[in-house]
Amino acid sequence: MTEELLRAERTTVGYHGVPALRDFSLSLSAGEMLTLLGPNGAGKTSALLSLVGLLPLMDGQVTALGKPVGKRFPPYALARAGVSLVPDDRGLFPGLTVREHLRLARRRPSKAREEAVFERFAALRSLRNRQVGLLSGGEQQMLAIAKALLAEPKVLMVDEMSLGLAPKVVQEMLPAIRAMARDEQIGVLLVEQHVELALSVADRGIILNHGRTVLAGPAATLLDRRSEVESAYFSSAESVEPHGR
Amino acid sequence: MWRVTTFIQFAVLGLGLGAVYVGLATGLLLVHRATGIINFAQGAMGMWGAYVFAQLQVDGTLVFPVGQLYLPEPPGVVLSLFIALLMGLLLGILAHYLVFRPVRHAPVLAQVVVSIGLMVAIQALVVIRFGPNNIAVDEVVPRVDIALVGVAVSGRELVMAVLMVGLAALVWVYLQFTRAGSATRAAAENERGAALMGFSPDRLAGFAIMLSTVISTAAVILGSSITGLNPENYTLIVVPALAVLLLARLESIALVCVGGLALGVLQSELNLVSTSEWWPTWAKSGLDQVVPFLIVMVILFAFGKRLPSRGSLQTVRLPDVTLPRIRLLPAVLLIGGAALAVSLTSGQIRFGITSSMIMMLLALSYVVITGYLGQISLAQLAFAGAAGFTLSKIATAWGLPFPLAVLLSSVVAILLGMLVALPAFRIRGAQLAITTMAAALAIERFVFGNYSLTPPEGNPIAEPMIGGVNFAVREGRDLARLEFSVLVLVVAALAVLLFIRLASGDTGRAFLAVRSNERAAASAGINVRMTKLIGFGLSAFIAGLAGCLIGYSHGQLSAESFEVFVGLQILAVAYVGGITSFGGALVAGLIAPLGILYVVLHQLFEMGNYYALITGIGLMITAILHPSGIAGEVHRAIAALRRKQRGGPAGAGTADAAAEPGDDPSRKDPSHAS
Repeated sequence: MTEELLRAERTTVGYHGVPALRDFSLSLSAGEMLTLLGPNGAGKTSALLSLVGLLPLMDGQVTALGKPVGKRFPPYALARAGVSLVPDDRGLFPGLTVREHLRLARRRPSKAREEAVFERFAALRSLRNRQVGLLSGGEQQMLAIAKALLAEPKVLMVDEMSLGLAPKVVQEMLPAIRAMARDEQIGVLLVEQHVELALSVADRGIILNHGRTVLAGPAATLLDRRSEVESAYFSSAESVEPHGR
Repeated sequence: MWRVTTFIQFAVLGLGLGAVYVGLATGLLLVHRATGIINFAQGAMGMWGAYVFAQLQVDGTLVFPVGQLYLPEPPGVVLSLFIALLMGLLLGILAHYLVFRPVRHAPVLAQVVVSIGLMVAIQALVVIRFGPNNIAVDEVVPRVDIALVGVAVSGRELVMAVLMVGLAALVWVYLQFTRAGSATRAAAENERGAALMGFSPDRLAGFAIMLSTVISTAAVILGSSITGLNPENYTLIVVPALAVLLLARLESIALVCVGGLALGVLQSELNLVSTSEWWPTWAKSGLDQVVPFLIVMVILFAFGKRLPSRGSLQTVRLPDVTLPRIRLLPAVLLIGGAALAVSLTSGQIRFGITSSMIMMLLALSYVVITGYLGQISLAQLAFAGAAGFTLSKIATAWGLPFPLAVLLSSVVAILLGMLVALPAFRIRGAQLAITTMAAALAIERFVFGNYSLTPPEGNPIAEPMIGGVNFAVREGRDLARLEFSVLVLVVAALAVLLFIRLASGDTGRAFLAVRSNERAAASAGINVRMTKLIGFGLSAFIAGLAGCLIGYSHGQLSAESFEVFVGLQILAVAYVGGITSFGGALVAGLIAPLGILYVVLHQLFEMGNYYALITGIGLMITAILHPSGIAGEVHRAIAALRRKQRGGPAGAGTADAAAEPGDDPSRKDPSHAS
């Protein structure tokens, strides 16, 4: 059994007192790749935000690296401890250069680590002095993931990496992240809209709809049971029954 | 004519003031970069340390906000300087934790109002602790003359300029080349992103506020060694510094240095030129405030669209507004109650009640412009003053009869209000607050305080007469005649009626639409510019009525009634009362300066300057904890009580519930609990 990095137990989160995600549980171990799937408004982004403490819990508990997330373990402390989230706006700073982003990402600069990241994302090397606001969407996404990896995270969460990216780029990047997760024992949590692509690289999948977990299991099983996945996706709020965790 | 050497000498003298601008604007820039807040209290915060320094030099007393320490003998300049800067640093930390951190994610309105509250509070505290008079400050930089291109110029100002530019350069190095500085810039663009990279935006902000206070303290200490210190001049010096900040587009320290020094030199040269014979006498007073105002206007028109705004973690909604309705019973009760109150009382108490009604009108003008239209105007009292001074001219000189004279004067206020609305076409939020404050200060110094326009021996106002009945406030020994109180009550009731009629109809809805989202309002077919013009016009009209009544209530006008500080205090009570409703204006009237509560408290014990301190602190607390003010809280309490009586959470007050993000955890979905 590998080390458990992140754990959510029956959490409920929402906005202005209205829950957006109910009774959500998850466990992520080192070297494991987990994908969170579901249609728009299913609660995927809320789940990610609550895991790093950016969205306060209404119920339940989140434990990251063995410590409960909350007031005493705020988002920036999580990030320092090695829990990286690439949010849906990519978390970039348009006025800063690529080089400045990379410097901010690491407390102690490491040439070797930077080289390793540039190896994987070669296109960034020539863009080092460019302002990030001037990069293309694909380059920005690349930078977002590169800077997350540069910090040598223990947990990497990416919200909708495929958003605004060419399918070809996604097809290249997903296996790269997969390989890195296995090599460096990073726990990876991907939020995705591309069901098949995500399930083809992940170990396990969780499908959310209308704020509830509707289907969960090993990725291979989910891929086999396509019809169930589809019905979980298109079910209406009333017919959602929590089952099979 | 003067020789070139005189110009050079004055230019160098102007560098001294320019150095102060550089220090304050650098501090403002740093705070804005780190928190997104435009800190109107920057000058006041720097002033505290300067006072500590001056008092240490005078008699070796180390003064704290509460209590003091008597040193056996005045410490040397270096030690005093160190202590003063340390006090500035502590003040910065306190301000961060108590004042700015709680409103980091609040709407701009709350941020502006909080910093104004801090400014009012510090200024009042300075008056309480150090006295209201000018005190001389020992020179930190020795006075030497040096030769510059063959001209003997003052070396002190040159050294000051070099010092402040040097400090500004250090700030630039911090922001540009250190990791924390880069993170501060990063957080300014995307706060959540910075937190996700392991930076605490709160700590970065705290450090920046601390640093900015120290730099501003140094600037005020240096500046006050030339000009002396009084509680007003360095509080308001923030206005030209804000002009410099806008000039630097809120982000360039190089432009802060160039702009700050240039503004100082320009003002110094203007002072020189305005002594010449051909300079019109009416344009001599208040030049130093007109120039920053003109600069702000030109900048906003030239680059208004390009000024950067800040991306933040989340935005909280503005305090709730309900469309007012005319309800007969409360209206009758209110007017009847007021009539009864003024007829049963006399003397000072009656005068206090009458003043409360006038102040209610002023607060109502803030409710219109800020509560309903969402525009931050700090010039409402200037509108009132403009109407008051017009009244004194036309009622006395032209002999216009009462209602006509007041209406005409209020039209002048409307025109002025619409003029101030022009910059509001292009800018909003804190930048509009800067503009209106600069405008108010320019009007105060250039018009109200200008002896050739408003003679110091007084501006008498003819007594209001209607059909042979005299409604004047005084007659013989009666200092508060019932006739005047009734007149005020009638005018106030009519103005409130006008407000409710407009606010409850399409105009009010258009105001609210513009307040919440100008683009969305425009796409829904609302003419945003016209709406702003109407809003500024209406609020200026109401303020103008109040200004005329203030004039009548004093029998004559003096510039002191319409000072910027008084205006800020009225904004403070309007906000404490509740900026989004007529009820709030009513509460504000009761607690306003010269109002009934003020008069009663004053009779019970000597409040002196504690009143200003209390309003300043009250303003901060309200803005942080109860954005809808006293009236809003009462309203909410009544709604909650009604809900309880009906026995269920259904129906009422859904809007109220959404306005309270603070109590989310208590609002679990009942269906989830099972």
